[in-house]
Amino acid sequence: MAAEAISRALRDGALEGEHAPALTIKDSIHAPLGAFVFDHILAQLSSNISSSKSQAQGIVLVAFARSPQFYAELLKSKANDAASLKKWLRIVDCYTDPLGWKSQLAESGIVSNRSTQNATTASLCKNARDLDMLFSSIVELGKEVIRETKGRFAVAIDSVSEILRHASISSAASLLSNLRSHDQVACLFWLFHSDLHEMKASSALEYISSMVACVEPISNTTNGKGMNSENLPLIEQNLGRGKFSVRFKRRNGRIRLMSEELHTEQMGINFVPAFEDYVTSQSLVPKVQFSLQLSEKERNDRAKVVLPFEHQGDGKPIQIYDGRRSVSESKTENKETNAEKMHVNEDSGRGEIIYIRDSDDEMPDSDEDPDDDLDI
Amino acid sequence: MAANKPRTSSFSRNVGVVPTSQVPGLKHGPNGTVFLSSGIADLDKILGGGFCLGSLVIIMEDPDAPHHMLLLRNFMSQGLVHKQPLFYASPAKEPRGFLGTLPNPVSLKDDKSREHDTEQEKTLRIAWQYKKYFEDQNLDSQKDGKVEYCSDFDLRRPLDRHALSGQCIDCVSLQDCPNLATLYDRCSTFLAQIPRFDGNITLAGRISIQSFSAPQCHFSDKEWDMLSFIRSLKSLVRSSNAVAAMTFPPSLVSPTVLKRWQHLADTLLSVRAVPDEDKDLAKLLTGYQDMLGLLNVHKVARINTQVPVILEATTYSMKLHKRRSLVLECLNQAPVDGSSGTSHATSGSCSVSSKTGALDF
Repeated sequence: MAAEAISRALRDGALEGEHAPALTIKDSIHAPLGAFVFDHILAQLSSNISSSKSQAQGIVLVAFARSPQFYAELLKSKANDAASLKKWLRIVDCYTDPLGWKSQLAESGIVSNRSTQNATTASLCKNARDLDMLFSSIVELGKEVIRETKGRFAVAIDSVSEILRHASISSAASLLSNLRSHDQVACLFWLFHSDLHEMKASSALEYISSMVACVEPISNTTNGKGMNSENLPLIEQNLGRGKFSVRFKRRNGRIRLMSEELHTEQMGINFVPAFEDYVTSQSLVPKVQFSLQLSEKERNDRAKVVLPFEHQGDGKPIQIYDGRRSVSESKTENKETNAEKMHVNEDSGRGEIIYIRDSDDEMPDSDEDPDDDLDI
Repeated sequence: MAANKPRTSSFSRNVGVVPTSQVPGLKHGPNGTVFLSSGIADLDKILGGGFCLGSLVIIMEDPDAPHHMLLLRNFMSQGLVHKQPLFYASPAKEPRGFLGTLPNPVSLKDDKSREHDTEQEKTLRIAWQYKKYFEDQNLDSQKDGKVEYCSDFDLRRPLDRHALSGQCIDCVSLQDCPNLATLYDRCSTFLAQIPRFDGNITLAGRISIQSFSAPQCHFSDKEWDMLSFIRSLKSLVRSSNAVAAMTFPPSLVSPTVLKRWQHLADTLLSVRAVPDEDKDLAKLLTGYQDMLGLLNVHKVARINTQVPVILEATTYSMKLHKRRSLVLECLNQAPVDGSSGTSHATSGSCSVSSKTGALDF
């Protein structure tokens, strides 16, 4: 459901005068399945593009973490032939030589330049630090794939984490937001490894995007214990399964949260709806000063309170200590000792307050109405 | 206006004769302050009249929703309707584009006054002696040539061209500012045209800065520079007849800087998004379906006085009335707001009234 909603949003693209929808795919070492999600979404968007169902007429892929050949193979395996790929796919190759070292070495003659041919037209980027140049090469390549002047293209960035190795967060953010606000960009999405960066980078990217998809482990491994025999099955499990939660920022200004499970399989990944436990929105609304609900502990404590009545409602009569020196078992004995005490205390003359319970005379739970004595 | 009369005691400076403002869009407030409207009638009421001239209003954004833009749009439109000079800065490359999204005031020849009368006749038969209280409202809005203090904006219709042309509107893109010194210079040149003297105020201006610490800006990682810019802006605004409204996303600054930022504000508001199709929230709040988002009022500006403002409620829901104008409503949920963190929020109202009662001689 969530993954389909994402594909739909990317397929529908941008409205006139609005920023293009932007997706952040976030993962971490505990659930390193972000790359699979990226490939899945790329494949879905490509099939929409090749069947002309999407607003985007082509896609510009900025490859940092994996080689252009990998993507060519991937898309070919999803029933696309090489010829049609050339029509709508362009790749900016930031994988082979991002900092220009190989070409420097080749120029100085130390290393022989191994030429790399690939079926797709991949434009080589030799300076990943210059994001302005990257922006213009993306836009140029994008113009090649669109058919009309009013057409739009999609942009996919393999890994923003790689961009952040070479550039500051503010230049990466301005690259992404400039792409978003460009008239010819239909949609864009990127992958990001959250544990490689500070919180600030993560929040900045979430601020810019309109959809945030997080891949999290289903069960949290006990942190810090590392690889021991107890943890291994859990860690293995986290490599094959994950929790996929998506936050959509909708046009009406509200947030939509969706969540499901993902499983890795031979031919990619599979999304399975999980039982949903929404975070209660109690935190949004101001807290009531008194709580009408009892917590578990409070309920237990309430059951344990000894009430100042003779009958606690559990079948056992309880003797409440009410200030007499000796509390005896039977009531009849009480009466006798009471009478004696009265007698004794009268003689003492020490000025004590003597309280004699007159409720002893009553049978407990007598249904007499004391007002019956009144003769009105 | 009668309902909004502030409580006066011996300790508040009463401006002797309160003249009806010849300058449209300005209103005299307590303690010698002058207010201008925020563009949203409900917000003016909550803040006790509007935004104080010389104050800094800070709105904390929610990164998930664009509600701060609604507040800024109303603020800027109100200024243009009253012909007040406007300075606008945003991280977009083309800030002028935002001016096209400003709303137009609901025109008076619309259904408004007619509807009001017919509704009244149908639903309620008011005794003749009470009709005079209702007529007051209509009279105000129908005076020829008199512009309202706070216009009712129709968010579906863009501002008329004639309101935008011939106005002093200064737009700056924050991406073009290599450092904050250039932005500061632009602000001070703008504010130089509206200095504050002891005489009558003839002109008031508005500064509107959107998404100040957005990650696209080059200075967004220099947090102390941003704080000192805000402090300098505040001092500039204090010595001129202007109100500065700034929005920023609090999740992008570190917590200690965020605290300082909040303290720098004279008036502090925050907007929050609401989850969609949330059954729990729908049960908890009535009117959840129409809600756009939530607005929190954290601090209200108090200039020339030590008496704090203690609000009855600090969380309001933002809704669209008749799908066109922004209204703020109290949440129909609990009678008491305990989230302000201080338990004297409730007893506060009692103690304030008893204090002024005792000292009112």
